[in-house]
Amino acid sequence: MSHYTPTLANRAQPSAQWIEKMRASYPVESAVDEVFTRKLHSRLKPVEHTMDFSKLQQPLLEFLQGETGQADIVVANLKRLPGGASKEQFTFDLTWQPEPGKRETRRLMIRMDPTESIVETHRLRESQVLRAMWGEVPVPEVLWIDPLGEQLGHPALIASFLEGTVQPEQPENSEKMSGVGMYFKPELRDGLSQQFVDILAKIHAIDWRKKDLSTFDIPQSNSTQANEWAIGLWERAWNEDTLSAHPIMERAVLWLKENMPVVGEPVIVHGDYRTGNFMYTDDLEINAIFDWELAYYGDYHDDLSWATLGLFGGSDEEGKPLSSSLMYQEDFLARYERASGNKVDMKKLSYYHIFSYYKIAVIAAATSVRVAYSRRTHLDAMMNFASGLGSVATSELNRLLDKATA
Amino acid sequence: MSPEIEQFLSGMKKTIEEVVMPNLTDKFAQEQAGIVAASLGFLGLIQDKAFHYELLENQEYKGILQAVIELLDNTFSAPTSVKETSAKVSEQFAADKVDDPVHLRPYKFIRGSNEVMKELLCVFIQQQPEMPAELRNSFEALMKPFFKSIELRERSWVKALGFDPEAEQQADIADLLYKDGYLNISKS
Repeated sequence: MSHYTPTLANRAQPSAQWIEKMRASYPVESAVDEVFTRKLHSRLKPVEHTMDFSKLQQPLLEFLQGETGQADIVVANLKRLPGGASKEQFTFDLTWQPEPGKRETRRLMIRMDPTESIVETHRLRESQVLRAMWGEVPVPEVLWIDPLGEQLGHPALIASFLEGTVQPEQPENSEKMSGVGMYFKPELRDGLSQQFVDILAKIHAIDWRKKDLSTFDIPQSNSTQANEWAIGLWERAWNEDTLSAHPIMERAVLWLKENMPVVGEPVIVHGDYRTGNFMYTDDLEINAIFDWELAYYGDYHDDLSWATLGLFGGSDEEGKPLSSSLMYQEDFLARYERASGNKVDMKKLSYYHIFSYYKIAVIAAATSVRVAYSRRTHLDAMMNFASGLGSVATSELNRLLDKATA
Repeated sequence: MSPEIEQFLSGMKKTIEEVVMPNLTDKFAQEQAGIVAASLGFLGLIQDKAFHYELLENQEYKGILQAVIELLDNTFSAPTSVKETSAKVSEQFAADKVDDPVHLRPYKFIRGSNEVMKELLCVFIQQQPEMPAELRNSFEALMKPFFKSIELRERSWVKALGFDPEAEQQADIADLLYKDGYLNISKS
């Protein structure tokens, strides 16, 4: 395909000088800079992503033998999991001795970077935040990690496999992508919605200073630094990945930078808290919150905005919009205020709604299309298809900007 | 040209949906085959409009960049950086003239020219903080309807992909591109 301009040629085949320019142009956390820079260097290698994971079996066995110190372990039933837009996911059965004298078989999962992902994130950072959450809120237990992919071929983490439902049965012909616009029957909404909000309140209340989160840079309190870094991440992703310049995206990022709210006391922001990223049991208990790869220290309004975003939420039986397909927005926010003690500032919520649509547009209109263009993901067809979500996001972004600047 | 592209796409879609998918046992493969079939359906709807989509954008971007240049020509307060961007627009208009019979050009020429113009317009947008307040206000007023036209066009283009909760309220892309049987470039 053509590189119509020098900028597009640089994005496709980044020079060392251009990579340094990208690094210098956007303020981001050091771990984010690390993975983004690695992505650009790796883009120069003419490698398409392979779908054949049969060669993973042996390195996985050797990796686990090293991690457990046990030579007689067995790795069996290695299978690909469907879903999972940003990372490849596999399950397997591990037979081993978790403690002396006890031999058991346990089903585990691997969460692994494709050659280039729709969001470049740090596996060590994700494993750190999952471990920080372990015992606080329901999450899979992280057992081992290969942060640079030195042994498994790509960066990966291995965690416990949990049984449950992510997507309930949907009405006919309503198949959507990765939790977008999902439908929950009233009895499911009744059972799950309050838990969903309460868990979010709990995440925001966790004292991160007591956790090992060494890959997270700590922004200054009562400053805009957390937002500068967050905007830096998404603006850098846009400018490294997009296949086409977009006036609405430039309008949006300028507005976001000129209207950044101050973050009082930063909390752990999940970064992708919505339907599709939680699992529940048959007893309607939420037993896992997934996809922590975008977690950072920031403003709790960011998670509230993401969870209440119109594009993600479905509707009730009368067509009234539901936040994360579970609750009306006013009920969601009222419950959150009660559970967390945090006050919801509607002006800030509106700011983060604009930021949320900007992020979705970066993922779906830029990075998804880039990774499909380079044939470097396990979901090339889906990534092209997802560009439709990106165009809806830029359209919503423009509507909100018109309102904000009226 | 026979068969037409639409026929190729339609045949592939049917084969995937009725032959391949029912015989797939792997859930991941089923999921991906479903997306391939849906993509083929989408391509069938838009493939004959791609050239005119780019042609319309070519006229729209030429129009807005001309308007920006005119605005800058009528102000004494444009900073040097903004004037430099104007000079680059003039260079681009030498390569793809405003009154060029661009509809006779190959698709890739038009697509490439559009990309250059998009990048230049984005530079102007980035340069707003450098503009004096009065110039910036005039620039923003000029841009707002242009942003709206992008919003409507792109949303119509992807309407059939199924992500838009307001899809029924969006115009069909053909209704947006054409008026009285011709490309609707009169508004640009």
